[in-house]
Amino acid sequence: MFEKSLYDLIRGLRNHKGNEKEYIQSCLKECRSEIRSQDMDVKATALLKLVYLEMVGHDMSWASFHVLEVMSSQKYHQKRVGYLAAVQSFRPDTDVLMMATNLLKKDLSVATPTVISLPIAALPHIVTPSLAMSLLGDLLPRLSHSHAAIRKKTVVTLYRMALVYPETLRAAWPKIKERLMDGDEDPSVTAAIVNVVCELGWRRPHDFLPLAPRLFELLVDGGNNWMAIKLIKLFATLTPLEPRLVRKLLPPLTNLIRTTPAMSLLYECINGIIQGGILGEGEDFSAREEVASLCVSKLRGMVSVNSDPNLKYVALLAFNRIVVTHPFLVAQQEDVILECIDSEDITIRIKALDLVQGMVSSDNLVSIVSRLMRQLKASSAALSQRQNGLEGQDHETDSSDEGIADSRWRRKTQESTPPLPDDYTVDVIGRILRMCSQDNYANMVDFDWYIDVLTQLVRVAPTPRARDPDLDASKSRTPGDISEKIGNEIRNVAVKVKAIRAAAVRAAELVIARMSSEVSLSRTMVSGALKPVAWVVGEYALQLLSPDDTLRHLLDLAPRIADPEVLATCLQAILKLLAHVAGDNRALWTPERKSTVALQMARIIHVLEPFALHPYLEVQERAVEFIELLKLTAEAAAGQPPSTDEVQQDPPLLLTQAIPSLFAGWELNSVAPGTQQNVPLPDDLDLDEPIHPNLDGLLAQADSLMLPTQGEDEFEVYYNQKPPPTSMSSEPAINRLLDAPEEVSSSYQHAEESYLDPDIVARRKAERMERYRDDPFYIPDSARSGGASTPIHNILQKENGPDLDIDSIPIMQLDLDRLSLSGRGTPAAEKQQQQQPAKPKPRQRIVVAADETLGFGGSGSGLSTPRTAAAYDSETNSINNNNGQPRKSKTATAAAGASKRPKQQSLLQVDSSHLGDLSLDGGGGDALAHERQQREEAEMAQALREVQRLRLEMQRANERIQVAQGVPAEGVVVAAKKKKKTRKMGAGAGKKEGAGTGAGSGAVEGGEGPDTEGVVKAKKKKKKAPTTGDGGGGSGEGEAAGVGGEGEAAPAAKAKKKKARRVVKLDDDGDAAAAAEGQS
Amino acid sequence: MINAFLVFNGQGQPRLTKFYTQLDTSIQQRLISEIFTLVSNRPAGSCNFLPLPPLLAASSTSSTSSSAQEQNDVPSLVTYRSYATLYFIIISTATESPLALIDLIQVYVEALDRLFENVCELDLIFNFETLHATLGEMIVGGVVVETNMDRIVAGVRAQGTVAKRPVNEGRSGGGLGAGLGAGLGMGGMVWPSGR
Repeated sequence: MFEKSLYDLIRGLRNHKGNEKEYIQSCLKECRSEIRSQDMDVKATALLKLVYLEMVGHDMSWASFHVLEVMSSQKYHQKRVGYLAAVQSFRPDTDVLMMATNLLKKDLSVATPTVISLPIAALPHIVTPSLAMSLLGDLLPRLSHSHAAIRKKTVVTLYRMALVYPETLRAAWPKIKERLMDGDEDPSVTAAIVNVVCELGWRRPHDFLPLAPRLFELLVDGGNNWMAIKLIKLFATLTPLEPRLVRKLLPPLTNLIRTTPAMSLLYECINGIIQGGILGEGEDFSAREEVASLCVSKLRGMVSVNSDPNLKYVALLAFNRIVVTHPFLVAQQEDVILECIDSEDITIRIKALDLVQGMVSSDNLVSIVSRLMRQLKASSAALSQRQNGLEGQDHETDSSDEGIADSRWRRKTQESTPPLPDDYTVDVIGRILRMCSQDNYANMVDFDWYIDVLTQLVRVAPTPRARDPDLDASKSRTPGDISEKIGNEIRNVAVKVKAIRAAAVRAAELVIARMSSEVSLSRTMVSGALKPVAWVVGEYALQLLSPDDTLRHLLDLAPRIADPEVLATCLQAILKLLAHVAGDNRALWTPERKSTVALQMARIIHVLEPFALHPYLEVQERAVEFIELLKLTAEAAAGQPPSTDEVQQDPPLLLTQAIPSLFAGWELNSVAPGTQQNVPLPDDLDLDEPIHPNLDGLLAQADSLMLPTQGEDEFEVYYNQKPPPTSMSSEPAINRLLDAPEEVSSSYQHAEESYLDPDIVARRKAERMERYRDDPFYIPDSARSGGASTPIHNILQKENGPDLDIDSIPIMQLDLDRLSLSGRGTPAAEKQQQQQPAKPKPRQRIVVAADETLGFGGSGSGLSTPRTAAAYDSETNSINNNNGQPRKSKTATAAAGASKRPKQQSLLQVDSSHLGDLSLDGGGGDALAHERQQREEAEMAQALREVQRLRLEMQRANERIQVAQGVPAEGVVVAAKKKKKTRKMGAGAGKKEGAGTGAGSGAVEGGEGPDTEGVVKAKKKKKKAPTTGDGGGGSGEGEAAGVGGEGEAAPAAKAKKKKARRVVKLDDDGDAAAAAEGQS
Repeated sequence: MINAFLVFNGQGQPRLTKFYTQLDTSIQQRLISEIFTLVSNRPAGSCNFLPLPPLLAASSTSSTSSSAQEQNDVPSLVTYRSYATLYFIIISTATESPLALIDLIQVYVEALDRLFENVCELDLIFNFETLHATLGEMIVGGVVVETNMDRIVAGVRAQGTVAKRPVNEGRSGGGLGAGLGAGLGMGGMVWPSGR
């Protein structure tokens, strides 16, 4: 005996650390030969080793036939290995399964209970509709087996069969019910039945209402906690259908809540009360009130800071369910829920975020987002420190400029929190953006703050890894998408909120400056934020602080942009910037100006030139256009002599008039998604008219030159599509600012420093200082201006204890307008305000422009639907009073029937959708039908059994031949097997007929039986409207028809495509079949 | 229902995989490694539930449009528990009770402990058939059929003798037993001893 046992294999694995791969490969090779051994022991051992290797990730689908062989072994310990292998390795496309039917039937009727439970336990893993149909008759009697263990497993297996073959339920349900009602039944069988009933319960609750009394009885004196939990869950789905149950359930549930020592049961009681709608209002209000407060207070206790994290999680889960029906109950718990956002545990954080997203209001938005920003900042700081320890050190010393509290906070978090995973970071950023932009910025109070947050987000957003061809496209793009989303927000604010546009543009400027300084020469630029930001910079060049610098940064960045769409936008922005920088027609055409303009244009041409050959059409076209235009302009500028002291010279018109006119014109407004479709078609446009009479010829010529076409570029659309005057109102949709932008309440200024980068905060402060330079009541921050990290600052901090922060000492502002509103008194008061903004802050009155839309119900499926747009318009109209003509009708038509997406099955999901369609309360006719069906099945099974026996015989014979011939390659066998099998089938059938030659009638019977069955089956399948095209069933039919066809010799007419192919194959290996027929 | 039951060690090597729906081997492995990444990065004192691994999250968000009923079919809960060198994972739908699943893992481990007498990872490595058998006594087709320790152990023993760990392999002993005692205090609550 030289074969390895499983034990040897595992030991070998442990002894080959380092080169396990080679070792496994050699083991697999051994297994491949061992498994074909005649010795069943060797075979079974090899299979067991394969199962072990499968667990580690080595495919064993090629061995499925050998699995069947071992399953059919007479010895229990071998059989067990075979069944285990079947469970672990059979996949929906395993085609040997239908050969197993007979074997399963046999094993189901053995006397030994251990053997019976093998097929029962394996069936849920491998069952297919056809298998279920033929095994139902054998499985049903096991419901009354003398062993309780068999009974309980049978119940569950029947349930799984019902999922793929709902008819199971019709036959099995009466018997299962009988078991459930039987008070003397073994408690663990009852528990198993309750489990199954609970699984079925939420799918078809109506059927289980009559069981309520018995279930109630079980709940009251059950004693098994797992079953009690299931019962409560089941009742929670029943109570909405039968409100009277509530009164009956409340006493035992409250009793359980008060007495049970098991936390899981306690939680499920509360959960059940919530889910069952028992909290709802109705008669008997006081009792319910009591229950409600009991539940919510228990949940609150679970969420609160010091509790077990598992309880925290499940309580949040419960809150997530309550919030759908009782949002006010959850809103009361806002404080404890918000604490969970800062939990170290990501699972809890995510659940809390789910909850918080629905609770955002203008009062708590800032505090919620601040919490999230702090996390992100800490994580990105930790990440950078981990990546390059030295740089992190520098960062640390730098940050001491900021308040000590800040850096202390950071140090603390750096010690405790590891960097967050990228998925989570992306998720959080997405949520921040969604919370802030909800309902067209309904909750946004302070846009300045929002711009700062966005600027910071661009920095912490995870950079997408360099494009990796191994990763699928969707995965590598996600992080890029998130920074593009952030950029889009900057753009949206710039477009929609006119009052804040200047700040947004400056933020965009900052982002670009930072990008250009960060990107090293070697790396390519990947941040998706550049596209929208570059657009903002170009479009609102007027508001830039230093357009020259920005132009230079963009030119630096352009050659390193990887994404062609981003590049196209940048090119456009570059020219817009040039138009602004050089195109001033009032300034004198001095020699200096002439030379700078010439230099600038030369530089741009130099950058653009390589793009003239860019593979992406959009980039190429823009580059070529701009190069030509700039060359012309450069010529004109060179030809124009500069003005001297005596002679005044105008700058060339091409520069001051032509280029700027390309971009000046309409103010661009945001347009609701789908509105473009509503633009009326001009009368003289005939879309059916061919563009070119010989288009085909042209296309044929151009065939060799196919270039990738670009997707729709929204900016291009903005520019090139002039709105017909009839369809779009000419009045600007961006409403004018009502008040001058006020200084916003800065009570959370200090908190910001913990999550905004120092330079952003510094900029903010500088702006504020600028604003208050002449304000005698404003005390300038001398400590800061005189070198931030002064020792005095530190000393003060130490002396005063950590709680006092100099920066948080309030500074009295005398602002007459806001005197009454100003709630800033003592530091304590301010602190309080920071922590929970109890008082609503004065709403900054900034108008956010709504998306423009056209009538006739655009398909509103974007950030702001037409409905909200209309709401906003009415609001702004009422404020503005007379806003010109009334707008075009903005009928709020809901999105036309949200198109149902094709159902996509999730991984690991069990599809149970068929189950709901079945009606259980069928009359006696159904039972008869079932019996008839069973008879038919028995007949068919008889015939199939015969075929199978012969087939197996042939298989063995073939195997022997193969071994004799020494066919070595296993890999080939997998591919070759299918063919062989069909051949065997044909041969087997032929042989059978050959055997039956003596009695012609016998042959006809043998042939016809299976055929009619096949047809019957096909019809049934159609009725069920199968959604799962499972190979097993299909092939089963195919064979039935094929085999039958052999006898009848008229197969093709009825056979489907699949069958047809098989039949053809059968015919191909003609000799045997033909011979058989000839004989008969 | 329960969609999968997994056991792997601190290096992510699988010790037991049981999927209650048919799944490609390669996808199984991807799922295991995704869960391992999640589970091995948990800070101390976190809860016993994992965020959905990307493979599952992707498929569950794509079906958000479907009705609440269908949501009940989607695997959406990943419960884990670690004992000494091993992680025990249950992937389930939202219809299962999270806290009860934690206790279910406890029952499984305690049953193994009784079968092997002070179980350790080595027992599980060399007797993975017994692991399957024990699980088979508790869960059939994703539905829990037994939570009573005595019955589970009796069921496994009825199938044949449980091999003892090989004598000369005891070097990395350690034992899960220590983990058992120090497990979450709620372990015995659901199924009070003596029943």
